[in-house]
Amino acid sequence: MSRQRPRDRAAATVLHVVLAAGLLVMIAPFVWMLLSSFKGDGELRQTPPTWLPADPSLANYRELFDRLDFPRYFANSALVAILVTAGNLLICSATGYALAKLRFAGRRALFLLVLGNLMVPPAATFVPQFVLVSNLGLVNTYAGLILPNIALAVNVFLMRQFILSIPDDLLESARVDGAGEWRVYWQIVLPLCGPALATVGILTFLGSWNSFLWPLVVATTEDKYTLPVALALYSVGQNQTRYGLLLAGAVTIILPILIIFALLQRHFVQGIATTGLKS
Amino acid sequence: MRTWTRGGAVLAVVAALALAGCGRDSGDGGGDAAKPLGAGKASGEITVWAMGTEGEKLTAFAGDFMKENPDARVKVTPIPWDGAHDKIATAIAGRQTPDVSLIGTTWMGEFAKTGGLDPLPAGVADQAAFFPGAWNTAVAGGTAYGVPWYVETRLIYVNKDVASRAGVTAAPKTWEELSAAAKAFKEKGGAAWGLSLQPGGTGSWQTVLPFVWQNGGDVTGGGSGFALDSPQAVEALAFYESFFDTGLSPKDLPQGTLEPDFAAGKIGAFISGPWHIGILKEQGAAGKFDLWHMPSKQKATSFVGGGNLAVFKDAKNRDGAWKFVSWLSKPEVQIKWYQASSDLPAVKAGWDDATLKGDALLSAFGAQLSDAKAPPSIATWEQIAAAFDAEIEKLVKTDETAANAAKAIQQKATSIGTGG
Amino acid sequence: MTRHRLAGWGFALPFTVLFLVFLAGPVLASLAMSFTDIRSADVRDPLAVTPIGLGNYARLFEDEQFLQAAGNTILVVLVGLPLTVALGLAVALGLNSGVVRFRGLFRVGYYLPVVTSIVAIAVVWRFLLQPESGLVNGLLGLIGVDGPNWLNNTSTALPAVIAMIVWRGLGFQMVIFLAGLQAIPQELYEAARIDGAGRWAQFRHVTLPALRPTLVFVTVIGSIGLLQVFEEPFVMTRGGPLASTLTVAQSVYSQFSFGNYGYASAMSYLLFIAIVLLSILWFRLLRSEEAR
Repeated sequence: MSRQRPRDRAAATVLHVVLAAGLLVMIAPFVWMLLSSFKGDGELRQTPPTWLPADPSLANYRELFDRLDFPRYFANSALVAILVTAGNLLICSATGYALAKLRFAGRRALFLLVLGNLMVPPAATFVPQFVLVSNLGLVNTYAGLILPNIALAVNVFLMRQFILSIPDDLLESARVDGAGEWRVYWQIVLPLCGPALATVGILTFLGSWNSFLWPLVVATTEDKYTLPVALALYSVGQNQTRYGLLLAGAVTIILPILIIFALLQRHFVQGIATTGLKS
Repeated sequence: MRTWTRGGAVLAVVAALALAGCGRDSGDGGGDAAKPLGAGKASGEITVWAMGTEGEKLTAFAGDFMKENPDARVKVTPIPWDGAHDKIATAIAGRQTPDVSLIGTTWMGEFAKTGGLDPLPAGVADQAAFFPGAWNTAVAGGTAYGVPWYVETRLIYVNKDVASRAGVTAAPKTWEELSAAAKAFKEKGGAAWGLSLQPGGTGSWQTVLPFVWQNGGDVTGGGSGFALDSPQAVEALAFYESFFDTGLSPKDLPQGTLEPDFAAGKIGAFISGPWHIGILKEQGAAGKFDLWHMPSKQKATSFVGGGNLAVFKDAKNRDGAWKFVSWLSKPEVQIKWYQASSDLPAVKAGWDDATLKGDALLSAFGAQLSDAKAPPSIATWEQIAAAFDAEIEKLVKTDETAANAAKAIQQKATSIGTGG
Repeated sequence: MTRHRLAGWGFALPFTVLFLVFLAGPVLASLAMSFTDIRSADVRDPLAVTPIGLGNYARLFEDEQFLQAAGNTILVVLVGLPLTVALGLAVALGLNSGVVRFRGLFRVGYYLPVVTSIVAIAVVWRFLLQPESGLVNGLLGLIGVDGPNWLNNTSTALPAVIAMIVWRGLGFQMVIFLAGLQAIPQELYEAARIDGAGRWAQFRHVTLPALRPTLVFVTVIGSIGLLQVFEEPFVMTRGGPLASTLTVAQSVYSQFSFGNYGYASAMSYLLFIAIVLLSILWFRLLRSEEAR
């Protein structure tokens, strides 16, 4: 950032302005959602929609927290999301590595299987999957919530693509030095995958955290409910919607995600990948 | 490549198995015969699913049942309305149902057809005690599969100021009077829209069908299955369309503007159910509106909806389940439930309650309930309703005629069939 | 190499086992369903249905509403995919260029629409698109253009929804591109600069080739996402007005909720075929280094 030529500085300013304008557009609905969670349902039905609450109150949050056993549902969501994410990080990076850098019979077929898995619309398999899980005795269990999602094809695909760009010489030199495949994977490949792992981590955690339909059908008693299922209990009725509760619930669901994302996004820092080439 | 040939073999086996036992029973499956219940009190654990606030309140409410039946334990799991239909359908498929569940009135036909619901045994509830329109929502293929728990019906909400400015003092008794009132609301009452009706879109059939019923028409009839292109239906559709054609009803009201505009007098009237009383109160419009009974052509019929209680075939405690349902249908329990939840009683005697009788708005709903209908409990109703909604949207927003719309609806309904 | 073969299958085993247990059966079952007239009424006795071969698939091509939904979906992909990828890449490049302060804030902010509840987004966007009091028509009015009733007009509803889909989706692309950009070693840029390459040449000869695997991922996943777009049109317009914003995914959802499991499965697999074909196209066009 030391000596910037005036032309570069002008370009940088323009870039900042454009990105900032875009940012405003991006965060506007989120800001509205946050502000509106402090409004009553009457104000929420006003048109045009108001921004600042006329009479801000925590009533929506208080109602949600009073009626719902929050710690329980939060813990369920966290447990499932953490285990699903950890599983995906491990299993999908290993599979991605095998598909990208190891030559073995059936590799192409496996990749096609991964892609096929990716491309089947989930709606098609939903009911048969539930029947299967039910036959396996996994209904209303944590295993039933976690196992079907613990190795997602999209993550395998992402890791494969990312690992493809790691230079083969790095791996070869390690093998020549006598390292077994596990060590190559664990000590050479994974450390270079920081950004990809962070991406898989945040996207998988997000997907699991926000997941509604699968936890809804797998849990048959409240003690297995996850947060999105519980938050839906009182916000949508048979003939009307309690928008205040809905928005307060949405804010509650999003906040942990934002915190994790804010923490993890530091991994998107240039320079991690430079270490390898200095041979 | 080995993976693929192996996969191919598996596929072949599955297909063979599937084909081997294929073909439906040509018989109509006969009527489900209900097995009788055991005598005495309920016992054991009774698992119940109920949506939203019903689920929340039922847990405490069931304490009284457990006092009367000390060996019984009622375990209520609240489930969200959002996704409840899918959850129940999937549970039936995976045979993971509870003993009892609250089921929306329009879902009864579909779930009954799966064979997953237990037919109503004798002695659980007396048909005559219920509003006939509500009772029929639990009857599919001639057999009752459950019991109505609570009901709702639709009335015309009218802005008092607009009405008095327009010089409309009494509720219209005929279709012509309704049109005249809406016109007066716009011309003299100061409203931009006389009567806001739903311009097609999801659920508009609940507003349109009552006019068909008022004209003496119906969804099914005449021996050929559906009667949606009968002269009565066409006339009703034309009447519905007339409000839009004469500028009395908006074709594209922005979402969310109905309640504020009605409270402000920009909309003279709209049709809805009891939940709007609370919503209008939040808008500061309490006491500013009246409720009008449906107008009559041959009858003054409205739509009845609500929730039914059904017991599943895969229930582990069928006996206890039906006894719990029976308890919930007792008039005194229905009244107590209304007081706890504000759900309107499905049992006629429940309306003898002092609170209900004394509330002018709610007793208006009670009066309408004796002339309220629901569509037939056929397995394909949701799909037919969606086709109906699409045609109504075309009727209102394009230059489609009522006769063509009715014909299109009849064609689609016939090709969809009754799922029977 | 045997060692590779053992290691390969060793690494891939957990995924393969999980796939075989949890997905293989359901995929085959749903495929089988698509060749029958199975409805929700049959779930307790699924083998007692009539196989009808390609009957469902044939019916799809005569289903007006499905054809309209298919046309809408194709439009969404044709317009939405280039926009989302280009904009996502542009923002990622901007944030990665090293000149921007508050990068973390920008990254989180641009990703927010992806995680914000669709209900909140729909309220704000509906307000923005309102014919009289909306911001969009207000801005258009400043340059003398009379803006239409975006969401209630059959010719403008789909473009408005596509704009919202692009706006919502570009954060996801941005995150992936950022990860890909981080992996490009600085030395390559240094070498190019020494060779006298300007910024655009650096982009074309260093960034783009290095991003190829990421680009493949983004276009394939982006296509899959857009071909299955559901939430935005469902919440904004319910597929209206007059089915002008109806997508195939909404039709699939409707058919499943009507209980037409056989028909809905066939629709899903037709969608699957479209996804496969489009992806094959991307793999061919953006041939990545795996040929090595």
